[in-house]
Amino acid sequence: MSDVPPIAPYPYTGPQALQAPIEDALRRVVDPELAMTIVDVGLIYGVTVNAQRVHVLLTMTSAACPVTDVIVDDVETALDRVLPRELKIHVELVWEPPWTSDRLSERAKAFMGW
Amino acid sequence: MRRRAARSPRLPVLALRALFVLVVLASLAAGVAGGLLRAGVTAVVPLDAPWVGHAVASHAFLMMCSFMGTVIGIERAVAVKLRSAFVAPAASGAAGLLMLAGVEQPAAWLAVAASAAFVCVNVVVWTRQRAAHTAVLLAGADAWFVGNLLLALGARTASVVPWWFCFLVLTIAAERLEMTRLMRRHRGAAPALVVTLAALLVGATAFSLAPVWGSWIFGAALLGLAAWLIAFDIARKTIAAHGLSRYMAVCLLLGYGWLGISGAAWIATAAGLHARDLALHALALGFIFSMMLGHAPVILPAIARVKLLFGWPFYAALAVLHGSLALRLGWGAFDIRAWSSGAAANAIAIALFGLTVACSAIAWRVKNRHTVKRGHDEVAAQH
Repeated sequence: MSDVPPIAPYPYTGPQALQAPIEDALRRVVDPELAMTIVDVGLIYGVTVNAQRVHVLLTMTSAACPVTDVIVDDVETALDRVLPRELKIHVELVWEPPWTSDRLSERAKAFMGW
Repeated sequence: MRRRAARSPRLPVLALRALFVLVVLASLAAGVAGGLLRAGVTAVVPLDAPWVGHAVASHAFLMMCSFMGTVIGIERAVAVKLRSAFVAPAASGAAGLLMLAGVEQPAAWLAVAASAAFVCVNVVVWTRQRAAHTAVLLAGADAWFVGNLLLALGARTASVVPWWFCFLVLTIAAERLEMTRLMRRHRGAAPALVVTLAALLVGATAFSLAPVWGSWIFGAALLGLAAWLIAFDIARKTIAAHGLSRYMAVCLLLGYGWLGISGAAWIATAAGLHARDLALHALALGFIFSMMLGHAPVILPAIARVKLLFGWPFYAALAVLHGSLALRLGWGAFDIRAWSSGAAANAIAIALFGLTVACSAIAWRVKNRHTVKRGHDEVAAQH
Protein backbone atom coordinates (compact mmCIF):
# COMPACT_ATOMS: atom_id res chain seq x y z
CA MET A 1 0.00 0.00 0.00
CA SER A 2 1.40 3.40 -0.99
CA ASP A 3 1.44 6.47 1.25
CA VAL A 4 1.34 8.72 -1.81
CA PRO A 5 -1.89 10.75 -2.01
CA PRO A 6 -4.26 9.61 -4.75
CA ILE A 7 -4.22 12.95 -6.59
CA ALA A 8 -0.86 14.75 -6.62
CA PRO A 9 -1.24 18.51 -6.13
CA TYR A 10 1.49 19.13 -8.75
CA PRO A 11 3.30 17.09 -11.42
CA TYR A 12 6.00 14.92 -9.86
CA THR A 13 8.72 12.97 -11.63
CA GLY A 14 11.20 10.91 -9.65
CA PRO A 15 11.55 8.10 -7.13
CA GLN A 16 8.24 7.27 -5.49
CA ALA A 17 9.97 6.94 -2.11
CA LEU A 18 10.77 10.68 -2.15
CA GLN A 19 7.37 11.93 -3.33
CA ALA A 20 5.66 11.96 0.06
CA PRO A 21 8.61 13.43 2.04
CA ILE A 22 8.99 16.20 -0.56
CA GLU A 23 5.28 17.03 -0.48
CA ASP A 24 5.28 17.01 3.33
CA ALA A 25 8.27 19.36 3.34
CA LEU A 26 6.63 21.73 0.85
CA ARG A 27 3.45 21.69 2.93
CA ARG A 28 5.49 23.03 5.86
CA VAL A 29 6.18 26.25 3.92
CA VAL A 30 3.33 28.60 4.75
CA ASP A 31 2.24 31.87 3.16
CA PRO A 32 2.33 34.06 6.29
CA GLU A 33 -0.68 36.23 5.47
CA LEU A 34 -2.94 33.43 4.30
CA ALA A 35 -2.03 30.80 6.92
CA MET A 36 -2.05 28.32 4.02
CA THR A 37 0.73 26.17 2.66
CA ILE A 38 2.29 27.06 -0.68
CA VAL A 39 1.00 23.71 -1.94
CA ASP A 40 -2.59 24.64 -1.05
CA VAL A 41 -2.20 28.08 -2.65
CA GLY A 42 -1.00 26.28 -5.79
CA LEU A 43 2.41 27.90 -6.01
CA ILE A 44 4.24 24.64 -6.82
CA TYR A 45 4.13 23.97 -10.56
CA GLY A 46 6.15 20.77 -10.46
CA VAL A 47 8.95 18.74 -8.86
CA THR A 48 11.52 16.66 -10.73
CA VAL A 49 14.05 14.44 -8.97
CA ASN A 50 17.00 12.72 -10.69
CA ALA A 51 20.14 11.11 -9.32
CA GLN A 52 21.85 14.46 -8.72
CA ARG A 53 19.21 17.00 -7.84
CA VAL A 54 15.69 18.04 -6.93
CA HIS A 55 14.24 20.68 -9.22
CA VAL A 56 11.21 22.63 -7.94
CA LEU A 57 9.18 24.97 -10.15
CA LEU A 58 7.68 27.69 -7.97
CA THR A 59 5.53 30.69 -8.85
CA MET A 60 4.22 33.71 -6.95
CA THR A 61 0.81 35.34 -7.13
CA SER A 62 2.41 38.75 -7.79
CA ALA A 63 5.54 39.95 -9.60
CA ALA A 64 5.67 42.76 -7.03
CA CYS A 65 5.94 40.34 -4.10
CA PRO A 66 9.07 41.11 -2.04
CA VAL A 67 8.71 37.92 -0.01
CA THR A 68 9.79 35.70 -2.93
CA ASP A 69 13.35 35.15 -1.68
CA VAL A 70 12.10 34.30 1.80
CA ILE A 71 9.73 31.66 0.42
CA VAL A 72 12.47 30.24 -1.84
CA ASP A 73 14.76 30.06 1.21
CA ASP A 74 12.03 28.35 3.23
CA VAL A 75 11.45 25.80 0.46
CA GLU A 76 15.17 25.02 0.25
CA THR A 77 15.46 24.71 4.03
CA ALA A 78 12.36 22.47 4.29
CA LEU A 79 13.62 20.18 1.52
CA ASP A 80 17.13 20.13 2.98
CA ARG A 81 15.76 18.59 6.17
CA VAL A 82 14.19 15.58 4.45
CA LEU A 83 16.31 14.82 1.39
CA PRO A 84 19.46 12.68 1.15
CA ARG A 85 22.57 14.84 1.50
CA GLU A 86 23.90 13.96 -1.96
CA LEU A 87 20.92 15.56 -3.71
CA LYS A 88 21.32 19.19 -4.74
CA ILE A 89 18.24 21.42 -4.36
CA HIS A 90 17.26 23.82 -7.12
CA VAL A 91 14.19 26.05 -6.75
CA GLU A 92 13.31 27.85 -9.98
CA LEU A 93 10.94 30.83 -9.96
CA VAL A 94 8.63 30.79 -12.99
CA TRP A 95 5.91 33.17 -14.18
CA GLU A 96 4.37 31.07 -16.95
CA PRO A 97 1.63 30.05 -16.86
CA PRO A 98 0.43 32.91 -14.64
CA TRP A 99 -1.06 31.86 -11.30
CA THR A 100 -4.86 31.86 -11.18
CA SER A 101 -7.34 30.95 -8.45
CA ASP A 102 -8.00 27.65 -10.31
CA ARG A 103 -4.77 26.44 -8.71
CA LEU A 104 -6.14 26.74 -5.15
CA SER A 105 -6.65 23.39 -3.43
CA GLU A 106 -10.10 22.35 -2.23
CA ARG A 107 -8.94 23.01 1.32
CA ALA A 108 -7.81 26.53 0.41
CA LYS A 109 -11.04 27.25 -1.43
CA ALA A 110 -13.08 26.07 1.53
CA PHE A 111 -11.12 28.36 3.87
CA MET A 112 -11.57 31.31 1.51
CA GLY A 113 -15.32 30.72 1.26
CA TRP A 114 -15.58 29.43 -2.34
CA MET B 1 21.57 25.46 -6.46
CA ARG B 2 22.64 24.64 -2.92
CA ARG B 3 22.34 22.57 0.23
CA ARG B 4 21.73 24.34 3.55
CA ALA B 5 20.11 27.63 4.21
CA ALA B 6 23.16 29.78 4.79
CA ARG B 7 24.29 32.49 2.42
CA SER B 8 26.59 35.01 4.01
CA PRO B 9 26.23 38.40 2.32
CA ARG B 10 29.42 40.26 1.44
CA LEU B 11 30.61 43.22 3.48
CA PRO B 12 29.62 45.93 0.93
CA VAL B 13 26.10 44.46 0.79
CA LEU B 14 25.85 44.52 4.58
CA ALA B 15 27.19 48.10 4.66
CA LEU B 16 24.60 49.22 2.08
CA ARG B 17 21.81 47.52 4.02
CA ALA B 18 22.97 49.24 7.22
CA LEU B 19 23.06 52.58 5.38
CA PHE B 20 19.49 52.12 4.13
CA VAL B 21 18.33 51.18 7.63
CA LEU B 22 19.99 54.28 9.09
CA VAL B 23 18.49 56.60 6.46
CA VAL B 24 15.01 55.12 6.92
CA LEU B 25 15.24 55.38 10.71
CA ALA B 26 16.59 58.95 10.49
CA SER B 27 13.67 59.96 8.24
CA LEU B 28 11.18 58.33 10.59
CA ALA B 29 12.72 59.82 13.73
CA ALA B 30 12.94 63.31 12.24
CA GLY B 31 9.42 63.08 10.79
CA VAL B 32 8.00 61.96 14.13
CA ALA B 33 9.95 64.71 15.95
CA GLY B 34 8.51 67.28 13.55
CA GLY B 35 5.02 65.90 14.11
CA LEU B 36 5.43 65.98 17.90
CA LEU B 37 6.47 69.63 17.85
CA ARG B 38 3.48 70.46 15.63
CA ALA B 39 1.31 68.84 18.32
CA GLY B 40 3.00 70.87 21.05
CA VAL B 41 5.03 68.00 22.50
CA THR B 42 8.50 69.35 23.25
CA ALA B 43 9.75 67.04 26.01
CA VAL B 44 11.69 64.54 23.90
CA VAL B 45 12.79 66.72 20.96
CA PRO B 46 16.19 68.52 21.08
CA LEU B 47 14.84 72.00 20.31
CA ASP B 48 18.26 73.57 19.67
CA ALA B 49 19.28 71.02 17.01
CA PRO B 50 19.73 72.70 13.60
CA TRP B 51 17.48 70.18 11.79
CA VAL B 52 14.46 70.55 14.07
CA GLY B 53 12.94 73.54 12.28
CA HIS B 54 13.21 71.75 8.94
CA ALA B 55 11.69 68.61 10.47
CA VAL B 56 8.66 70.61 11.59
CA ALA B 57 8.27 72.31 8.21
CA SER B 58 8.79 69.08 6.25
CA HIS B 59 6.89 66.62 8.47
CA ALA B 60 4.72 65.29 5.61
CA PHE B 61 7.66 65.05 3.19
CA LEU B 62 9.77 63.16 5.73
CA MET B 63 7.02 60.71 6.67
CA MET B 64 5.51 60.03 3.24
CA CYS B 65 8.43 60.49 0.81
CA SER B 66 11.61 59.85 2.79
CA PHE B 67 10.34 57.19 5.17
CA MET B 68 7.45 55.39 3.46
CA GLY B 69 8.67 56.15 -0.08
CA THR B 70 12.09 54.72 0.73
CA VAL B 71 10.70 51.61 2.45
CA ILE B 72 8.30 50.95 -0.45
CA GLY B 73 11.12 51.63 -2.93
CA ILE B 74 13.34 49.05 -1.22
CA GLU B 75 10.43 46.59 -1.10
CA ARG B 76 9.81 46.93 -4.85
CA ALA B 77 13.55 46.78 -5.67
CA VAL B 78 13.84 43.52 -3.72
CA ALA B 79 10.81 42.17 -5.62
CA VAL B 80 12.16 42.96 -9.11
CA LYS B 81 15.70 41.77 -8.20
CA LEU B 82 17.42 44.60 -10.09
CA ARG B 83 20.29 46.55 -8.51
CA SER B 84 19.37 49.61 -10.55
CA ALA B 85 15.94 49.61 -8.86
CA PHE B 86 17.63 50.66 -5.61
CA VAL B 87 18.30 54.08 -7.18
CA ALA B 88 14.73 55.09 -6.26
CA PRO B 89 14.94 54.45 -2.49
CA ALA B 90 18.52 55.74 -2.37
CA ALA B 91 17.37 59.03 -3.92
CA SER B 92 14.24 59.37 -1.75
CA GLY B 93 16.27 58.64 1.39
CA ALA B 94 18.92 61.20 0.40
CA ALA B 95 16.17 63.72 -0.40
CA GLY B 96 14.99 63.45 3.21
CA LEU B 97 18.49 64.13 4.52
CA LEU B 98 18.83 67.16 2.22
CA MET B 99 15.46 68.43 3.42
CA LEU B 100 16.65 68.13 7.03
CA ALA B 101 19.80 70.03 6.10
CA GLY B 102 17.61 72.88 4.87
CA VAL B 103 18.43 72.61 1.16
CA GLU B 104 14.79 72.34 0.15
CA GLN B 105 14.85 72.83 -3.60
CA PRO B 106 17.57 70.22 -4.36
CA ALA B 107 15.74 67.88 -1.96
CA ALA B 108 12.47 68.38 -3.82
CA TRP B 109 14.07 67.73 -7.22
CA LEU B 110 15.89 64.67 -5.87
CA ALA B 111 12.48 63.38 -4.74
CA VAL B 112 11.23 63.95 -8.30
CA ALA B 113 14.15 61.85 -9.57
CA ALA B 114 13.39 59.18 -6.94
CA SER B 115 9.77 58.89 -7.98
CA ALA B 116 10.69 58.92 -11.70
CA ALA B 117 13.02 55.98 -11.04
CA PHE B 118 10.25 54.31 -9.04
CA VAL B 119 7.86 54.72 -11.98
CA CYS B 120 10.42 52.91 -14.17
CA VAL B 121 10.66 50.07 -11.64
CA ASN B 122 6.88 49.72 -11.70
CA VAL B 123 6.91 49.67 -15.50
CA VAL B 124 9.23 46.65 -15.17
CA VAL B 125 6.74 45.01 -12.78
CA TRP B 126 3.90 45.78 -15.21
CA THR B 127 5.75 44.27 -18.18
CA ARG B 128 6.44 41.11 -16.14
CA GLN B 129 2.84 40.73 -15.03
CA ARG B 130 0.15 42.65 -16.92
CA ALA B 131 -2.58 42.52 -14.31
CA ALA B 132 -4.99 44.94 -12.66
CA HIS B 133 -2.98 45.13 -9.45
CA THR B 134 0.33 45.91 -11.21
CA ALA B 135 -1.46 48.65 -13.17
CA VAL B 136 -2.69 50.15 -9.88
CA LEU B 137 0.85 49.96 -8.47
CA LEU B 138 2.08 51.89 -11.51
CA ALA B 139 -0.69 54.48 -11.08
CA GLY B 140 0.39 54.88 -7.44
CA ALA B 141 3.99 55.49 -8.53
CA ASP B 142 2.76 58.05 -11.07
CA ALA B 143 0.82 59.84 -8.32
CA TRP B 144 4.00 60.08 -6.23
CA PHE B 145 5.83 61.56 -9.22
CA VAL B 146 3.08 64.15 -9.79
CA GLY B 147 3.08 65.14 -6.11
CA ASN B 148 6.86 65.51 -6.01
CA LEU B 149 6.88 67.49 -9.26
CA LEU B 150 4.23 69.87 -7.89
CA LEU B 151 6.34 70.37 -4.75
CA ALA B 152 9.49 71.07 -6.78
CA LEU B 153 7.57 73.55 -8.93
CA GLY B 154 6.53 75.45 -5.80
CA ALA B 155 2.99 74.22 -5.13
CA ARG B 156 1.63 74.51 -1.59
CA THR B 157 2.17 71.40 0.56
CA ALA B 158 -1.61 71.20 1.09
CA SER B 159 -2.05 70.64 -2.66
CA VAL B 160 0.76 68.09 -2.77
CA VAL B 161 -0.31 65.96 0.20
CA PRO B 162 -3.35 64.41 -1.58
CA TRP B 163 -1.01 63.15 -4.33
CA TRP B 164 1.33 61.61 -1.77
CA PHE B 165 -1.68 59.97 -0.13
CA CYS B 166 -2.73 58.67 -3.55
CA PHE B 167 0.71 57.05 -3.90
CA LEU B 168 0.41 55.24 -0.57
CA VAL B 169 -3.30 54.40 -0.80
CA LEU B 170 -3.02 53.05 -4.36
CA THR B 171 0.02 50.98 -3.37
CA ILE B 172 -1.95 49.39 -0.53
CA ALA B 173 -5.09 49.00 -2.65
CA ALA B 174 -3.09 47.23 -5.38
CA GLU B 175 -1.74 44.73 -2.89
CA ARG B 176 -5.20 44.09 -1.44
CA LEU B 177 -6.70 43.74 -4.94
CA GLU B 178 -4.10 41.09 -5.70
CA MET B 179 -5.03 39.18 -2.54
CA THR B 180 -8.75 39.25 -3.35
CA ARG B 181 -8.00 36.88 -6.24
CA LEU B 182 -7.91 34.16 -3.59
CA MET B 183 -11.60 34.68 -2.88
CA ARG B 184 -14.63 34.16 -5.07
CA ARG B 185 -14.93 37.77 -6.10
CA HIS B 186 -18.05 39.55 -7.25
CA ARG B 187 -17.88 40.36 -10.98
CA GLY B 188 -18.24 44.08 -10.34
CA ALA B 189 -15.58 44.22 -7.61
CA ALA B 190 -12.55 45.06 -9.76
CA PRO B 191 -14.35 47.72 -11.87
CA ALA B 192 -15.75 49.25 -8.66
CA LEU B 193 -12.23 49.55 -7.25
CA VAL B 194 -10.93 51.12 -10.46
CA VAL B 195 -13.72 53.72 -10.37
CA THR B 196 -13.03 54.44 -6.69
CA LEU B 197 -9.29 54.87 -7.23
CA ALA B 198 -9.89 57.02 -10.31
CA ALA B 199 -12.13 59.23 -8.15
CA LEU B 200 -9.30 59.51 -5.63
CA LEU B 201 -6.95 60.75 -8.36
CA VAL B 202 -9.63 63.17 -9.62
CA GLY B 203 -10.01 64.43 -6.04
CA ALA B 204 -6.24 65.02 -5.75
CA THR B 205 -6.26 66.89 -9.07
CA ALA B 206 -9.31 68.96 -8.12
CA PHE B 207 -7.74 69.84 -4.75
CA SER B 208 -5.15 72.06 -6.44
CA LEU B 209 -7.82 73.97 -8.40
CA ALA B 210 -10.81 73.99 -6.04
CA PRO B 211 -9.92 72.61 -2.58
CA VAL B 212 -13.54 72.31 -1.42
CA TRP B 213 -14.57 70.20 -4.40
CA GLY B 214 -11.30 68.29 -4.16
CA SER B 215 -12.01 67.43 -0.50
CA TRP B 216 -15.52 66.25 -1.34
CA ILE B 217 -14.33 63.94 -4.09
CA PHE B 218 -11.25 62.75 -2.20
CA GLY B 219 -13.30 62.00 0.92
CA ALA B 220 -16.02 60.20 -1.01
CA ALA B 221 -13.37 58.07 -2.75
CA LEU B 222 -11.77 57.13 0.58
CA LEU B 223 -15.19 56.17 1.96
CA GLY B 224 -15.82 54.08 -1.15
CA LEU B 225 -12.46 52.39 -0.81
CA ALA B 226 -13.11 51.57 2.86
CA ALA B 227 -16.45 50.01 1.90
CA TRP B 228 -14.80 48.05 -0.93
CA LEU B 229 -12.05 46.70 1.33
CA ILE B 230 -14.48 45.71 4.08
CA ALA B 231 -16.69 43.96 1.51
CA PHE B 232 -14.06 42.15 -0.55
CA ASP B 233 -10.77 41.85 1.34
CA ILE B 234 -9.51 38.45 2.53
CA ALA B 235 -9.04 39.87 6.05
CA ARG B 236 -12.64 38.89 6.87
CA LYS B 237 -11.58 35.28 6.23
CA THR B 238 -8.06 35.33 7.67
CA ILE B 239 -9.28 36.85 10.95
CA ALA B 240 -10.51 33.31 11.62
CA ALA B 241 -6.95 31.97 11.22
CA HIS B 242 -4.35 32.12 13.97
CA GLY B 243 -0.98 33.68 14.82
CA LEU B 244 0.50 36.12 12.35
CA SER B 245 -2.34 35.76 9.82
CA ARG B 246 -4.93 36.80 12.39
CA TYR B 247 -2.74 39.69 13.60
CA MET B 248 -2.43 40.95 10.02
CA ALA B 249 -6.20 40.70 9.56
CA VAL B 250 -6.77 42.72 12.77
CA CYS B 251 -4.37 45.42 11.50
CA LEU B 252 -6.18 45.49 8.15
CA LEU B 253 -9.72 45.67 9.54
CA LEU B 254 -8.84 48.37 12.09
CA GLY B 255 -7.17 50.28 9.26
CA TYR B 256 -10.28 50.04 7.08
CA GLY B 257 -12.31 51.58 9.91
CA TRP B 258 -9.93 54.56 10.12
CA LEU B 259 -9.93 54.83 6.33
CA GLY B 260 -13.70 55.31 6.39
CA ILE B 261 -13.44 57.83 9.24
CA SER B 262 -10.80 59.73 7.28
CA GLY B 263 -13.06 59.81 4.22
CA ALA B 264 -15.88 61.28 6.29
CA ALA B 265 -13.46 63.84 7.77
CA TRP B 266 -12.25 64.98 4.32
CA ILE B 267 -15.91 65.57 3.46
CA ALA B 268 -16.39 67.38 6.79
CA THR B 269 -13.51 69.75 5.99
CA ALA B 270 -15.16 70.46 2.64
CA ALA B 271 -18.32 71.36 4.56
CA GLY B 272 -16.33 73.86 6.62
CA LEU B 273 -15.86 71.80 9.80
CA HIS B 274 -12.52 71.70 11.63
CA ALA B 275 -11.53 68.11 10.91
CA ARG B 276 -8.21 68.46 9.10
CA ASP B 277 -6.12 66.58 11.71
CA LEU B 278 -8.72 63.80 11.68
CA ALA B 279 -8.72 63.73 7.85
CA LEU B 280 -4.93 63.54 7.63
CA HIS B 281 -4.00 61.31 10.55
CA ALA B 282 -6.88 58.86 10.51
CA LEU B 283 -5.55 58.14 7.01
CA ALA B 284 -1.79 58.37 7.66
CA LEU B 285 -1.65 56.66 11.07
CA GLY B 286 -4.95 54.81 11.36
CA PHE B 287 -4.92 53.31 7.88
CA ILE B 288 -1.40 53.48 6.40
CA PHE B 289 0.61 52.88 9.59
CA SER B 290 -1.76 50.11 10.63
CA MET B 291 -1.03 48.43 7.27
CA MET B 292 2.70 48.86 7.91
CA LEU B 293 2.46 47.36 11.40
CA GLY B 294 0.54 44.44 9.94
CA HIS B 295 2.92 43.72 7.11
CA ALA B 296 6.23 44.51 8.81
CA PRO B 297 6.62 40.99 10.31
CA VAL B 298 6.43 39.63 6.75
CA ILE B 299 8.14 42.39 4.79
CA LEU B 300 11.07 43.09 7.14
CA PRO B 301 12.48 39.56 6.84
CA ALA B 302 12.27 39.99 3.06
CA ILE B 303 13.94 43.38 2.74
CA ALA B 304 16.28 43.37 5.74
CA ARG B 305 16.94 39.60 5.76
CA VAL B 306 16.13 39.49 9.47
CA LYS B 307 13.75 36.79 10.70
CA LEU B 308 11.22 37.68 13.39
CA LEU B 309 9.50 35.49 15.95
CA PHE B 310 5.85 36.54 15.99
CA GLY B 311 4.13 36.78 19.37
CA TRP B 312 1.48 38.65 21.35
CA PRO B 313 3.69 41.74 22.00
CA PHE B 314 2.94 42.83 18.42
CA TYR B 315 -0.65 43.40 19.56
CA ALA B 316 0.57 45.75 22.32
CA ALA B 317 2.04 48.27 19.86
CA LEU B 318 -1.06 47.96 17.69
CA ALA B 319 -3.34 48.61 20.68
CA VAL B 320 -1.31 51.66 21.71
CA LEU B 321 -1.41 53.02 18.15
CA HIS B 322 -5.17 52.73 17.76
CA GLY B 323 -5.94 53.70 21.36
CA SER B 324 -3.76 56.81 21.15
CA LEU B 325 -5.27 57.71 17.81
CA ALA B 326 -8.75 57.49 19.32
CA LEU B 327 -7.55 59.76 22.17
CA ARG B 328 -5.96 62.26 19.78
CA LEU B 329 -8.68 62.39 17.16
CA GLY B 330 -11.70 61.75 19.42
CA TRP B 331 -11.32 63.37 22.81
CA GLY B 332 -8.52 65.56 21.40
CA ALA B 333 -11.06 67.38 19.24
CA PHE B 334 -12.45 68.93 22.46
CA ASP B 335 -9.38 69.04 24.72
CA ILE B 336 -6.01 70.24 23.45
CA ARG B 337 -4.14 68.37 26.21
CA ALA B 338 -5.75 65.13 25.10
CA TRP B 339 -4.79 65.99 21.52
CA SER B 340 -1.11 66.49 22.51
CA SER B 341 -1.10 63.40 24.74
CA GLY B 342 -2.60 61.33 21.94
CA ALA B 343 0.07 62.56 19.52
CA ALA B 344 2.81 61.72 22.03
CA ALA B 345 1.32 58.24 22.49
CA ASN B 346 1.23 57.83 18.68
CA ALA B 347 5.02 58.26 18.76
CA ILE B 348 5.28 55.85 21.71
CA ALA B 349 3.35 53.27 19.67
CA ILE B 350 5.84 53.56 16.80
CA ALA B 351 8.79 53.30 19.23
CA LEU B 352 7.14 50.33 20.96
CA PHE B 353 6.68 48.63 17.62
CA GLY B 354 10.37 49.20 16.78
CA LEU B 355 11.32 47.69 20.14
CA THR B 356 8.99 44.73 19.53
CA VAL B 357 10.60 44.09 16.14
CA ALA B 358 14.11 44.24 17.65
CA CYS B 359 13.17 41.87 20.49
CA SER B 360 11.39 39.46 18.15
CA ALA B 361 14.49 39.34 15.90
CA ILE B 362 16.59 38.43 18.95
CA ALA B 363 13.94 35.91 20.07
CA TRP B 364 14.06 34.22 16.64
CA ARG B 365 17.86 33.94 16.83
CA VAL B 366 17.67 32.45 20.33
CA LYS B 367 14.93 29.99 19.38
CA ASN B 368 16.73 28.89 16.22
CA ARG B 369 20.31 29.13 17.51
CA HIS B 370 20.94 25.40 16.98
CA THR B 371 19.66 25.53 13.40
CA VAL B 372 21.64 28.70 12.64
CA LYS B 373 24.78 27.25 14.21
CA ARG B 374 24.37 23.99 12.25
CA GLY B 375 24.05 26.00 9.04
CA HIS B 376 27.20 27.99 9.77
CA ASP B 377 29.12 24.88 10.77
CA GLU B 378 28.19 23.20 7.50
CA VAL B 379 29.24 26.25 5.50
CA ALA B 380 32.52 26.32 7.40
CA ALA B 381 33.02 22.62 6.71
CA GLN B 382 32.49 23.18 2.96
CA HIS B 383 35.28 25.76 2.96
